[in-house]
Amino acid sequence: MSKKKRFGISEALTRGLSETINVVENNSGVFRNIVLPLSRIELDPDNPRKLAIDLADVRAGIRPDDPHYLRKQEELDKLKELAHTIKTSGVINPVVVYKLGETYRIVAGERRCLASILAGKQEIEARVFNEKPKGFELKLIQWVENTAREDLTLDERLGNVREIIREYLLQHGDVEVTATLLKNITGLSLSQTTYYLAALNAPDDVQMEIHNGNIRNLDKAALIASVASPDLRRQAIDACINGSSLKEIRSIISQQKMLKKSRVSLQASTRGRNTTRINMGSTLKAEVIKTIVESVVNRKEFDKYMDIFSQVNWMDLRQTSKAFRKLIEIMETEMAV
Amino acid sequence: MEIIAFVNNKGGVGKTTCSKLMAEYLSKTMNLRTLCIDFDPQCNFSHQYLRMEIDPAAPEGLMPPIHPDYDPADPDDQDWDGRSSIAEIFYGQGVVPYPTYVPNLDIAPGHAEKLLTAESVRRSEVVDKVHKQLANFLNSSDVHAAYDAVVIDTAPSKGPLTISVMKAATHIIIPSVMEEQPVQGIYGMLQLWMQESLIREKNRPLQLIGILPNMFKQTRLHKDILTSLQESSAIGKYVLPVKFSQRIVFAEVDAADSNPRSIFDFQEQHVAKTEAMEVCSYIAERIFA
Repeated sequence: MSKKKRFGISEALTRGLSETINVVENNSGVFRNIVLPLSRIELDPDNPRKLAIDLADVRAGIRPDDPHYLRKQEELDKLKELAHTIKTSGVINPVVVYKLGETYRIVAGERRCLASILAGKQEIEARVFNEKPKGFELKLIQWVENTAREDLTLDERLGNVREIIREYLLQHGDVEVTATLLKNITGLSLSQTTYYLAALNAPDDVQMEIHNGNIRNLDKAALIASVASPDLRRQAIDACINGSSLKEIRSIISQQKMLKKSRVSLQASTRGRNTTRINMGSTLKAEVIKTIVESVVNRKEFDKYMDIFSQVNWMDLRQTSKAFRKLIEIMETEMAV
Repeated sequence: MEIIAFVNNKGGVGKTTCSKLMAEYLSKTMNLRTLCIDFDPQCNFSHQYLRMEIDPAAPEGLMPPIHPDYDPADPDDQDWDGRSSIAEIFYGQGVVPYPTYVPNLDIAPGHAEKLLTAESVRRSEVVDKVHKQLANFLNSSDVHAAYDAVVIDTAPSKGPLTISVMKAATHIIIPSVMEEQPVQGIYGMLQLWMQESLIREKNRPLQLIGILPNMFKQTRLHKDILTSLQESSAIGKYVLPVKFSQRIVFAEVDAADSNPRSIFDFQEQHVAKTEAMEVCSYIAERIFA
């Protein structure tokens, strides 16, 4: 007798059924993607808008007597660029709207909507929320949309994060917002959230320079904000304004810090094996070695060795290393006497 | 008004039998004013309550008989041929439900030719209209005022007719035989349920009451497949704890001259009646409680 046969539904079918059920359970009634007539879409007056231009300007043209004529004209030119790509390849990401009576209000995608109208489109693909997202969710959606944009200033991005944190605190009570928490909320990397927090909590002078657009880079802002001494911070800010790279600013800061630190102490750890010789360290800059060698042989008691080093090619790291070893050897010999 | 639909794109899983039992339970036992809708071009559900006629225009198709209230002499009925099916919703005409032998129970019968035409539309703007038409009809104030419950029997398909039922229904039940092919039909229906759920407003979700094991036999095949559905963490909670067994009496009462005509008219202890009461009361409890 053969074994009794067992029956069951196939693995593929089980997976298909389970996945479908999970999609419904997790998403029903939350949002839907549909194609909306642009005529039914309106801007949300409650959202903090960075654009001066509005629907009426795009539909009917900017009035010459408009007080913001120049700014709006500039925005319109940028929208026309976007409209051009929309004409050829459409809107790639759906905009986000929520339903309000017969119309739909934009949560994210003002520029895409305005540019679509300019491109002569009648409809736009939209992700529709059935109700207005709660403050926190709304800010988060706008934030996520905004991080994908490159035309936001650091000040605007920081403003976004500040809003997210404010809404989060409103909803969750007064908790300490750490970089890890911010990471969980926004989905950004830990280093990014650390930078954002540092920039948000930056001293007033740094905040002001960010606001004025003099510090435009998050990494630099965070780095400068970490400098406690007002004088040194000023130096770093100036370097930043003068176009120094992150690396350069970092080296200015660490140089100054080192000066300060070495004045205080050069205490070394006493842990580990006894130290029987001195480690000379290493450097990438041959110039450092050249300076040491020159300052030694310029001393009277060593000037007889000057010729040995006159032929060294200081551009060559290997030769420089050899020269440095030779110098140590000479000094040990001289001082042993 | 609750709109209950039995759906599965596999044929022969007992959609009509379940629809009939549910409709009779609601009207006979719960005294709810109930409307049956036959959305299957095969018109089997209609045939349970009406003497459907052969359509001379389509010899294989059935059409409803002359409505008992039709009066050719009445000036109001001048523009009416005396027949009315649920398919009239696609033709901009009024639907006049037929009374049945059960008090409280009306039926809007099918019309093979007209339903097949609606099912076969492919042009997108027409499809869109077909999809919305049943919901529009059932949401009308006339229907809401006249009925407490609607039970819809559907075609074994995933086409425009079934989609329009999905758009109109408040609750769906997927009857299935515990065999491989009908279970695949469950997948087709869950897909439609998903599509509809994602675009529904939050305050009127399409509720999946669950998968109803039907024509169940105590065989290894049926038991194993039922167990494998129940044991899956996602699917398990949608497998109903009640089931219909394979019983010849469910088919016997479908015969035109059967007596009694309804399972619910059997004597109290009858095993089929007990089972029907158990299943239908469970479903009704879930929907109306």
